[in-house]
Amino acid sequence: MPPEDVAASEKEPASGPAEPKASAKASDAPPKEPAPASKDPAPAPSKPAGDDPRRGAAKADGEVVVPPSPYADAATGKAKKKKARKEPEAAVRLRKLTKRFGAKTAVDEVTLSIPMGQVYGLIGPNGAGKTTTFSMMAGYLHPSEGRVEILDTNPYEVDDLRSRVGVLPQDAMLPANDKVGEFLVHMARLQDFPGDKAEELARQALAEVDGKEWWNQRCGSLSHGMAKRVSLAQAFLGEPEVVLLDEPTAGLDPRVAWEMRQLVKAKKGRCTIVISSHNLNELEEICDAAAILDRGRLVASGSMNELTASNEEVRVKVASGTKRGTQTGQVPVAKLEELAMVRSVHFDDEAGEIVIGFERSKADAETVIGHVLWILLHSQVRISGVTKGRGLEQRVMDLT
Amino acid sequence: MTSRDIAYYGEPALSPATEIRLIAFRELRRSVRSIKGVIIGVLTLLGAFVTSLVCTWMEGNNRDIAKVATNEQYLEFKKQTIEKATNDPAFAAYAASIPTSLLVFLKITVWLGPLLIALLGFDLMSSELQYRSVRFWTVRSRRWTYFTGKMLGLWGVVALITLVLNLIAGTVATTKGFVTVGQLATWGLRFWLVAVVIAGSWAAIATFISSCFKTPILSLLTTFVTFFVMWLVSLIGFFVRAKGMVESGVEKDMQWYEYLYPNTYDTMLLAPETGRVLTALGILVGFIIIACAAGSFLFQRRDV
Repeated sequence: MPPEDVAASEKEPASGPAEPKASAKASDAPPKEPAPASKDPAPAPSKPAGDDPRRGAAKADGEVVVPPSPYADAATGKAKKKKARKEPEAAVRLRKLTKRFGAKTAVDEVTLSIPMGQVYGLIGPNGAGKTTTFSMMAGYLHPSEGRVEILDTNPYEVDDLRSRVGVLPQDAMLPANDKVGEFLVHMARLQDFPGDKAEELARQALAEVDGKEWWNQRCGSLSHGMAKRVSLAQAFLGEPEVVLLDEPTAGLDPRVAWEMRQLVKAKKGRCTIVISSHNLNELEEICDAAAILDRGRLVASGSMNELTASNEEVRVKVASGTKRGTQTGQVPVAKLEELAMVRSVHFDDEAGEIVIGFERSKADAETVIGHVLWILLHSQVRISGVTKGRGLEQRVMDLT
Repeated sequence: MTSRDIAYYGEPALSPATEIRLIAFRELRRSVRSIKGVIIGVLTLLGAFVTSLVCTWMEGNNRDIAKVATNEQYLEFKKQTIEKATNDPAFAAYAASIPTSLLVFLKITVWLGPLLIALLGFDLMSSELQYRSVRFWTVRSRRWTYFTGKMLGLWGVVALITLVLNLIAGTVATTKGFVTVGQLATWGLRFWLVAVVIAGSWAAIATFISSCFKTPILSLLTTFVTFFVMWLVSLIGFFVRAKGMVESGVEKDMQWYEYLYPNTYDTMLLAPETGRVLTALGILVGFIIIACAAGSFLFQRRDV
């Protein structure tokens, strides 16, 4: 999707055809235009009000009920009545965002809106402008042109965003002389948590990244993986509403990377997470939606289903040498085309792949897979794999 | 309404003063713990001990030349000498009461202060920019409070070192019998405050320079060059004044060069007239404010 289409599509209402899982799955939520939470009965996965100390839950009669929060009472030590903050329209909003370094344009008029509650990926090859875009979101870099808003606020307004935004910078080194515990407590103190509460939160954050025993270790003595996890702990410190993660698993061994992914998954639904990465499998696994950047420009954005066409297309890999036909062991293309929900069937016998396009209004991918496999198995076709959609990797390869 | 309540209403919560305090105290802790801080601290203290001995030896030598046996006789000798030179009995009485060894020590510490501050402060901001550690802070604190907190942290470290130096010098002078405990409590405290105020100007300038670079070695070189140029310029101003060139009219405009160098104000800060002391204090605070404001402004606008 060209950027101008993307920009245009942002204005479209967040409506879609009824689909069995569309209303329940975050990844099927409309990708671009965030509907205000108060108006949308089924938003993308959002943090349950009871889990979020900074958000109130609206009762049927409109009265705002503020749930008890471990953070809210930190300063006074007693329960307090609080008004809920106005629900932001979007977690992150970029408008014609441009960044130039001398003559080089690193980010070129990127327009994007990330709804509240999603896990959103920033995808692209090296030099695509992911980290630069990310850095402008985090307030590290000043845009040359355009505008960034996080929670409807300029990212440089630290006071308004304090404790509401957490950031994992890609290559920022932890202060080597600080002990891990001291560092996290200091960060929590700067987030306006009083001393005792700050320590409690710091210990909790460290425990979440499985690093309890590092409390008294100096940051300089941590391995790369440990340091990354401590950085992640500081990003999630105090349950921020928006967390920006830049290459959270870069340079980590597979096990630690897996653990990091599990941690991010565990946070899913409790806050908006923006992940910048070029690890496409990871993003496909974690993200609800994503934007693809290439050479500084936005080339596509949308829900993961839209990007991968996983709710429009099913791919079946068959054994090499399999031919089209009606005989046993051959692909019965005509029979597949007869299926009511199927829109198109394309069989590439050289690649050994059948691509079945379907109407998502008539059936979901799982139903289509069931029907297609039924036909293929009856024809005794040797099947080596089935995927929903074309895969994020393929999509990115097509676009960049 | 508590600060936490304010946070929920979307208004400023953590006050700038609290941010500065948190950052400054962390900086103090970091400096005291770092290998560089420890090495510089130990070397400075050893140097201070030796310097104190030299200062007291010089004073002892002076007393031998003056052939005086007691402090009172030495005081009278100094008073007469200064009165002869200035023809001002009041000033002579005041100046004679200043403990010589401590004054010499103050002059040496003030003169070497910029060197110490350059070594302690060159990587204050630059290393955080180089390794991007600053990014952990910029999402949590205002940039100007970060800058100011860092500067105050450096100033605090230097103030601590200076305090220990003065205590060493005072102890050595008191042990030798050149300074009484009373003088140590009054003049010693005043000398320390003079050194601290001047150190504040240098700390602010060093922090400003450090915040302009992402490479610590460049920051170090620039700090040294800047301090050296300031000293050179002040030296020109000093000679212009000392050689009476002002009266000749040729270099009249150059006499104020001397006042571009913070160390110049140590004499003014020790003057008997309150007006002169306040003027010097105001100018030095001005140095601090200007350097902090400029540094904060540039740091706010720069990419990190």
